[in-house]
Amino acid sequence: MVIDLDKCVGCQACSTACKNENNVPYGSPDDQRMRRDIFWNKVIAVTNGKYPRVNTELISMPCMHCDHAPCVTVCPAKATYRREDGIVVQDFRRCIGCKYCIVACPYGARSFNSKEQEEKEYHRPDLPPDRSVWGQWPFPTRTHGVVEKCTFCFHRIDQGIKEGKKIGTEVVPACVEDCPAEARIFGDLDDTHSKVSHLLSSRAWIRLREELDTKCKVYYLLR
Amino acid sequence: MKNKVRSGSKEKEQNGFKLKMDRRKFLKWSAFTGAAVGASKIIGQLDTPAASPLQKNIQKTFEEKWIATSCLNCPARCATRVRVVNGKAVKITGNPLSQVSEGKICPRAHIGLQVLYDSERINTPLKRTSNKKGKGVDPKWIPISWDQALNEVTNRLRKLRENGEPHKLLLFNGLNTVSSEELIFRFADAFGTPNLISGDGLDSETEKSGNWMADGHYAHTAYDLDHTNYILAFGADMLESSKPLSRFLRKWGKFRREKPNRTKVVVINPRYSVTAAKADEWIPINPGTDGALAMAIAHVIISEELYDKTFVKGWTVGFDSYKNLVLSQYAPKEVSKITGIEPEAIQRIAREFAQTQPALALRGKESINWPEGSFTSYAIFCLNALVGSIDVPGGVIYQESPQYNEMPRWVEDETTKKGKAKPSLDFRGTDKFPAAKVVTNQIPESLLENAPYPIEMAIGFNTNFNMSSPGPDRWDQALTKLPYYVHLSPFISEMALYADLVLPSTTFLEEWGYDHSPPGSGFAEVKIKQPAVSPHGSARPIIDILFHIARGLKGGVAQSFANIGDHAEGFVKIRTEKLIPWKDFLRKGVWMEKDYEYRKYDRIFHTPSKKFEFSSGNLKVLLAKTKKGKGEGSDYLPHYREPKFLGDKEKFPFVLLPYQPLMTIENGSQNYPWAQEIFLPMDGVGWETLVEINSETAKKLRLKDGQVVWVESPFQKIRAKVKFSEGVHPGVVAIPSGQGHTSYGKWQKGIGVNPHDIIGVDYDTISGQAAFFNTRVKVYKA
Repeated sequence: MVIDLDKCVGCQACSTACKNENNVPYGSPDDQRMRRDIFWNKVIAVTNGKYPRVNTELISMPCMHCDHAPCVTVCPAKATYRREDGIVVQDFRRCIGCKYCIVACPYGARSFNSKEQEEKEYHRPDLPPDRSVWGQWPFPTRTHGVVEKCTFCFHRIDQGIKEGKKIGTEVVPACVEDCPAEARIFGDLDDTHSKVSHLLSSRAWIRLREELDTKCKVYYLLR
Repeated sequence: MKNKVRSGSKEKEQNGFKLKMDRRKFLKWSAFTGAAVGASKIIGQLDTPAASPLQKNIQKTFEEKWIATSCLNCPARCATRVRVVNGKAVKITGNPLSQVSEGKICPRAHIGLQVLYDSERINTPLKRTSNKKGKGVDPKWIPISWDQALNEVTNRLRKLRENGEPHKLLLFNGLNTVSSEELIFRFADAFGTPNLISGDGLDSETEKSGNWMADGHYAHTAYDLDHTNYILAFGADMLESSKPLSRFLRKWGKFRREKPNRTKVVVINPRYSVTAAKADEWIPINPGTDGALAMAIAHVIISEELYDKTFVKGWTVGFDSYKNLVLSQYAPKEVSKITGIEPEAIQRIAREFAQTQPALALRGKESINWPEGSFTSYAIFCLNALVGSIDVPGGVIYQESPQYNEMPRWVEDETTKKGKAKPSLDFRGTDKFPAAKVVTNQIPESLLENAPYPIEMAIGFNTNFNMSSPGPDRWDQALTKLPYYVHLSPFISEMALYADLVLPSTTFLEEWGYDHSPPGSGFAEVKIKQPAVSPHGSARPIIDILFHIARGLKGGVAQSFANIGDHAEGFVKIRTEKLIPWKDFLRKGVWMEKDYEYRKYDRIFHTPSKKFEFSSGNLKVLLAKTKKGKGEGSDYLPHYREPKFLGDKEKFPFVLLPYQPLMTIENGSQNYPWAQEIFLPMDGVGWETLVEINSETAKKLRLKDGQVVWVESPFQKIRAKVKFSEGVHPGVVAIPSGQGHTSYGKWQKGIGVNPHDIIGVDYDTISGQAAFFNTRVKVYKA
């Protein structure tokens, strides 16, 4: 995924679209105070400078889906693994809730679900991810006591591949689809004809925390 | 001179079709994919899921529909598609057929789901049993039947008309669909009351009056964002609270990186907004001095002869007197002392603005919602004319409105005529507010003083003025005094707490309607509202309630509401039948007019001279009528006067700047969890109100970051957490609005504070716009 910080408008539609698509539980004032609110995609603000020479960069942070993912390395239950296509996923059924991966993740992309299953407020079985349209989604309902994170909406991708659609143009994650500025671009980094490859070859880009050699898959284009 | 430009060609992907979409291909395309966009239906059987203890309640069958409808979480009214599974709305996304925002929606639209499924919605009509009204008084609601409720309302309304006093009915109009609004207006006309009060007077009427002085259009400005190369934004929060928001969000991406030359954006604002953060340059300005800066920019452009001579010569009048004023009084050096901006910076942005064509000067609430704001608005708007950015690609454009099927004129009997002849409660069009179309915040005073006459009954349609107005405690008092108040809304808002009767209306996902966006796109576009799900409880659409009441009133009112559909669906059908066949409308959800036509100079200027006016003829004519004009030529020119502040500078050293974050939902249902938790993106927090102060100022006040402080104005004080910021002018205290509810449900009530509580009451005297930014405050430890 490529996120163009020049086009990004800081509106946070990526965050709301993600919550909507994936039925991610919403938080409460208490959750926020205890830093327990769950985000699969969160926009952070980084400020530098003194008045009046100030700069705030609003950075949208999904899971970076690293090639060398620290979370995969540390998971004692093998609940987190990297798929062949590069997407790092979390198997709720294997997760033992030890939170090693939360500590290991250099990007803060993971959240622990401490919401009780009974809290019907967020638990809406009718909401996606369900199996009804996107096909096999292995974990249809939210699970208390496990770690969650962004999946690059792999339920959409898998379904799209099954139907022979083009990934990156016809099928994209929810946050890409609903970005009003079209600042997010999704596609195959190995495909030299994909839009992401074009952008990365023509624009200056960074990856966050390059020094950790995580080889992450979310690139940011600079202004 | 005519120039047609294709708008919005952009790749879209939709249900498996990859298509190049533009307005030309719109018709062709929608003919065969209509089913995919609109009410497509999939009924299927699931493969049996692997047995898992976590997959308990999975339904084996499902019915999926995509409904083409539109949003109403803010006035932009974007076209949307709603995914409905087994009768429940589960996902909202944009409708690619809409070209106002190229099929995109803003984050507010997603929150429609939480509005729809809010557990605090009202199920049945509620009647007040407590005799007392007032802040904090429990109304002691009891549920009653619709028949009983509507009979009660109709009887009271009938009595007003029988007594020959229809003007004693007061109607409040909040954010409703265009279709509901048109019927509310029609109801007021047919009933015979001049007192229909919308919330526009709290929004930005000064933008409209500034336009009206220059080109005769009393309307918001539309900008051709596709083709502009330079944007100078005076207090315009393009990415937070502008209208239509989704259009600005989409076009920002477009003008930054989807054309060969990247558009430069310069933001002038005392506060470092999200827009400023995303812009190329942020120039903090002393609050309330934007008018002076606009005049100084004109000074540079005129003195260096950088203006568009062809346009100025051919299509404007009053340029010489404007030029004299600008050159004599607004040299950058002088203006620098007023605005706090270096003269070199003023010169630089003026040159950039004039030489990077086409360029746009935008204004937003922060620069113009001041006393005398009309003239600031006029001064900024004139910059567009100076560089010839009027009705050209990349300039100011003139919004066309859709030609709905005309309704027969309402029946005007004697009672109606007599009532309509009475003066309005808000003093619009009088010497107090000569150009005003509505003066929302004047109502509480009029009610409390019975001026010009007492009011017997009021009906509010999705309004919440005792939250959104400056000095809301006056509204509380006035609402307490109202003899009988009926409130229509899906929720118990702060205003509903003063009602004698609350009628549950439907949300925009449950009703029929048609809608169009505020000025933006140029070409006309209509969106449908069709029920995605069945209404909650016994909630009814406003249109149906109005039809029912009108029929019950009999006589002229009933006749006025006969033959226009009889119910919501029928009404929408009749009004739109000339535009698009009904079946197509249901399927596509959008109707669009032909491409926008530029350079209509012979038709667009509605001024006495039929040209763009640097010296306002419209204002001159009007002030002569109301005898307010002193007859001096300079009164009709754009100019800057030192803003009037409420509060003594010694005692109250800071200027309060309330601002509207993007996530503030404007439909009367505030701040749902998805929005609340990301409410203040620049601070990375939600669920609260922060008092943002410049870090140096805060240190001088010996405050600690995160401490709870009092913010006190001469009128009121509020308590909130302080946040040190590098993005606030040292003389300014910035507080986001949208929080501080005392009603609604657990997601809103008791969270944060409302900065409007401490704002003093003041107006722009031309347009009657409430001033929001001229209250002084002090800040101290709590």
